[in-house]
Amino acid sequence: MGEFEVHRVRFFGLVPAGVRCLACQPRGPRLALARTDGAVEVYNFAANYFQEKVIPGHELRSVESLCWAVGDRLFGAGLSGDITEYDLAGLSAARGVDGGGGPIWSMVANGTGTQLAIGCEDGSVKIFQVVPGGIQFERNLDRRKGRVLCLSWHPSGTHIVAGSIDFFRVIEVTSGQTVQRIMVNHHVEKAKCECVVWAIALLSSGTVVSADSFGRVQFWDWEQGTLAESHTVSTSAALSLAVSEKEDSIIVGTSTGATYQLQLLPVNLGGQEKRWVRTKPFQFHSHDVRAVAHSPAALISGGLDAQLVIRPLMEKMQKKGYDAALRKFTFPHRRLVSCARKARLLLFQFSQYLELWRLGSTEETGKDGEVLSLCRMPEHLVQLKSKGPEHIYCSCVSPCGTWIGYSTASRFHLYRVRCDGDGVSLRKV
Amino acid sequence: MVAPGSLRVVRCGGSALRGARAVFSADSKYLLYVSGDFVKVYSVNTEETLRLMGGHADLVTGIQLNPQNHMQLYSCSLDGTIKLWDFMDGIPIKTFTVGTKLLALYTLASAEDSVFVVIPKKGERDTFQLVSVELTKGVGQDLEGKELSVVLDDVGASMKHIAFGREGAYVVSVKDVNLQVYFFKRKLLNRFSLSTVKTKGGDNRFSCVVCHPKEDCIATGHADGKIRLWRNFHHKKEYTYSTLHWHHDIVMDLAFSMEGTRLLSGGVESVLVQWHNESSCQKDFLPRLGSPIEYISMSSDGILCCTLHTDNRISIINSNLRFSRSIQGLIKSRDVKTGLVVDPRTKALVLNGEPGHLQFYSLQSDQQLFSLDIVQRQYIHQAGLKQSDLVKVAFSARGTWLATVEESEEVTDPELQLKLWLYNEEIQSFELNTRINTPHDNHITDMCFRDMDELGDDSLILVTTGRDCVFKVWVMVEDTDPEAQQSVSWSCDFVGSYHNYQATNCCFSEDGSLLAVSFEETVTVWDSLTWDLKCTFCHPPGNIRNICFGRLTCSKYLIGATDYGFLCCWNLLTCALEWSAHLNVVVLQPDPLSEHIAAVSWLSKESSLFVFKPNEPRPVYIQRNLCKEKIRLAAFVPRDEPENTEKYLWLRKSQLFFLTDTQELMTLSTKSLEERLTPSSKQLAVEESLPVTPFSLLLGKHRHQQAQEDTDLGKLIVHNKQEQASPAVKELLHTPAHVLPSASFLCTIFINSLLISKENKSAEEVADEVEMESEKAEDDSDEEDVTAMEQEDTGHMELLGEMTCKLSKSQEKELRKIRKMDYSWLSAL
Repeated sequence: MGEFEVHRVRFFGLVPAGVRCLACQPRGPRLALARTDGAVEVYNFAANYFQEKVIPGHELRSVESLCWAVGDRLFGAGLSGDITEYDLAGLSAARGVDGGGGPIWSMVANGTGTQLAIGCEDGSVKIFQVVPGGIQFERNLDRRKGRVLCLSWHPSGTHIVAGSIDFFRVIEVTSGQTVQRIMVNHHVEKAKCECVVWAIALLSSGTVVSADSFGRVQFWDWEQGTLAESHTVSTSAALSLAVSEKEDSIIVGTSTGATYQLQLLPVNLGGQEKRWVRTKPFQFHSHDVRAVAHSPAALISGGLDAQLVIRPLMEKMQKKGYDAALRKFTFPHRRLVSCARKARLLLFQFSQYLELWRLGSTEETGKDGEVLSLCRMPEHLVQLKSKGPEHIYCSCVSPCGTWIGYSTASRFHLYRVRCDGDGVSLRKV
Repeated sequence: MVAPGSLRVVRCGGSALRGARAVFSADSKYLLYVSGDFVKVYSVNTEETLRLMGGHADLVTGIQLNPQNHMQLYSCSLDGTIKLWDFMDGIPIKTFTVGTKLLALYTLASAEDSVFVVIPKKGERDTFQLVSVELTKGVGQDLEGKELSVVLDDVGASMKHIAFGREGAYVVSVKDVNLQVYFFKRKLLNRFSLSTVKTKGGDNRFSCVVCHPKEDCIATGHADGKIRLWRNFHHKKEYTYSTLHWHHDIVMDLAFSMEGTRLLSGGVESVLVQWHNESSCQKDFLPRLGSPIEYISMSSDGILCCTLHTDNRISIINSNLRFSRSIQGLIKSRDVKTGLVVDPRTKALVLNGEPGHLQFYSLQSDQQLFSLDIVQRQYIHQAGLKQSDLVKVAFSARGTWLATVEESEEVTDPELQLKLWLYNEEIQSFELNTRINTPHDNHITDMCFRDMDELGDDSLILVTTGRDCVFKVWVMVEDTDPEAQQSVSWSCDFVGSYHNYQATNCCFSEDGSLLAVSFEETVTVWDSLTWDLKCTFCHPPGNIRNICFGRLTCSKYLIGATDYGFLCCWNLLTCALEWSAHLNVVVLQPDPLSEHIAAVSWLSKESSLFVFKPNEPRPVYIQRNLCKEKIRLAAFVPRDEPENTEKYLWLRKSQLFFLTDTQELMTLSTKSLEERLTPSSKQLAVEESLPVTPFSLLLGKHRHQQAQEDTDLGKLIVHNKQEQASPAVKELLHTPAHVLPSASFLCTIFINSLLISKENKSAEEVADEVEMESEKAEDDSDEEDVTAMEQEDTGHMELLGEMTCKLSKSQEKELRKIRKMDYSWLSAL
């Protein structure tokens, strides 16, 4: 074994972007994830949750919602009001269509993936048809006051439930009329603050599941408009909700960082009567859990602390093994640091700029594990800001330390670095 | 030599109530609980102990109502028997002998002729199995219950570790971190285990288990205070559980309400927690229950629940989580440091109760009279916390003054406080008069008042001895300060010491003129007027353990017991040793009303009792092998009226009580077992052999005639007649005369009752009504209301003719009660 000098690099102040939304590919192995900086990542379950694709973020484009449509096409919608299709081969945002209702808070695809419904700031729900090469506006559904924060299709595609502040409503798709409007807060006496329905789901049995800012998960019969069950899972807000494909399990994310699983269990063994029971709490996150997803064999949650946690369901696992392990994606999967070995330089990549540092050096030698004192502190040489709204996709420094290159989704830049003693100058090539 | 005694040792209180969960009767009127070897029946409404059912030879470990008959109770005991009781009458119906120790008992409605018990596994120590016992339907009282079939292996020994599920479909057992569920129908056994690793203060070991009454849900309590609710446990893999967490320490017991919507949990926090709908957000608390909760049980109608506490207290709690009432016998304290003291005013035993409290325990009613807060500080339940506790108590002769000493648990610096309390007649309680901080520099070893009835309060002197090598004399002084609220207070009058030895015991002579103080190996005698040292006695080797003066005719003697097993008697007139005996005395207790002194020795794991008079070295009475446990304390309690025992003169005026290591109170009884037990077990027999009274003769003749008619005419018609006639006649004969209606009215009823009725089918329903009405009339009879009479008129006119003899149970009881009344005065006429 040779001798190594190990540098402790504590000056890379990367702030990772939190997870904003998650979308599981229906009947497919992929998971799409959008971060708060607009970056979209695609993971593949089949390949050990490998991060397949990364589409870098864009300053003007935030992603509030992602959904998969027919033919493995991925759409995203955000507060800019546009619906964007992502080019998964070219790793870029392909085409954008204006939603026409102000900022878009939510977007869901129907069971077959042929139609997209968006919920807008102005309270409208619009339906778009997925056509080859893009999407086409189809119709406006009944518009009511109050922003539409969450949407859910009935699996058969006949109804849409739209969650808003203090209420949610059920809309029939064919007629476009609101058939039921349910006040979430109706039975609470003198509710002082508004109750935000953060997430909603419509089950095939006709049950509406809502998660609200009072920390409740409530089950409603939408035809009668009655509350069937109410589970107060948390003292803080319940932010996100995902239902398994079999509709026997629900995962709820809350703003305390805890996620809860609710299961539909038989009241009596072998009996027909079933009831939702809150079963397992998980505390993997330190901040709000904004997005949850339920794959057939795992609970997936992503939070503002930028972690993606995949917890396999033990009862679905055949044996203990690699698949059954808990996974946490804390670190970025891409290479954000590049090193010029000869020049003892490090290049750090941030979303909008690059930083070039010179490593510290020492004259002492020591034994294994000893900490050596530095005679020269690490030095911040240069900060290079990229132009334009696009985020940096990748970057590199040459081994001799004289060339720096970076690229965005559309452009490539190359700089020459010249060190003159203490001063450093950059020249664009 | 005196012949070995034949007095019986009787447990009379303080037995652990912790053997098993208490059981409510089906109508929630009675609470049945285990107290040592007995099962007690307690009326929920009147707070009285109704019945004591004794018969087991060892600790009772489980009681359950008979699911087939709610007036019957099964009990099992360590003596290897299962008994079936009629608890309303306190009669043992059947005894099934199983043979091995029985540790817990369960009954199922679906399993008719069998019960489930936990027994130790043969050949293996500390492993237990759940077996079902076939209860054979034989004739006679004593039966064998030998047909055992093992249901579950390797179960926990406590009854809290096994629960039966909804409708008896499955049984759950927990042990350590393992849970096993056995489904009876499918013969399927599922095992689940939690991780044994203790992370972040977590401890997954199970402490108790209960099953939801309506749903398939198991609730388990854990050592770290968590409650887990298990569902879907018929799948080996897809089982799931949710967690409720409030308790900070072990969950001692759980109970579901009848519908399963509420779950109660309790632990060492002394707080009862009620969880609604299995949700962790909705919960209610009932705090300050006094002591850790050991068992929780629910009544079958869900109105009441009761908690058994570790200090032998029972609390009854309403369904809205309001404290209703409590049953307090002898409260078990952590350590009885005060000794057994008799309150001269109430004749109650006084000793440590709740932490920092003094309990006054009534021997007659087996109830706590009251609890006096001495330390007056909040008790915080936490291991390792140094608490202040009461260590010494003394009463003045007439009970007007009470002296208490409290100290903190710290060994090096005990914060001592001497408090003097004066009895206030108005508030009927003791009031703090004087508080003396640090009366001694080290632990106080003994304390006594000068007991002088005739001299009044002026002569009151309190003496304390301490390990700081002095004894101090405290006297009352008049308060000169006009602003002072009290007229008197206490202060130190004299400090005495002897060669810098630790003072260990003190004692006043009967007339109060002499004070004996023992200093390690030496006993010193002081004049209580001048505080001069009169003489010293010594019996080396060994420190003096106990001293006491003789009384009455023996007041010239001083008795001392030493560490090295000697009992010495010194003559105070000659200042010489009168006699000594080799005896390892642990308790030396003089009878305040006679010359007798009781000494309890502890030798080779058994306690023996010796009663002697100081003037003769031979004991009056010896009882070897008093009990297996070590006797810690003893006390003579004066009897209200002297007992007529010619054999045991020393028990005539006072009764001797012992407290054992396990804080069980025992006494010596001169009566034999048959006398002492309430004749309830023979009640039935008595019933048959009622004393011959004119009425019974009449009734007997009547009955006899009926019987003859039966045999003569066949049983078709006459049977009917007899059945109908007898209740009316009985009622006539048994109702007290002053509540009966006029004779002219009764005549028609009587004649009517002798007629043969035409229909007898529907009569059964109306019979109850009649009974109700007549009862009501009886109740009202004091006022002799006209309307009530009329009501009765019609009732009897219409219905008595078709009355059947099918008496309801309560009616029968009523009759029995009337029959039991003494009619012997009639024969004297």
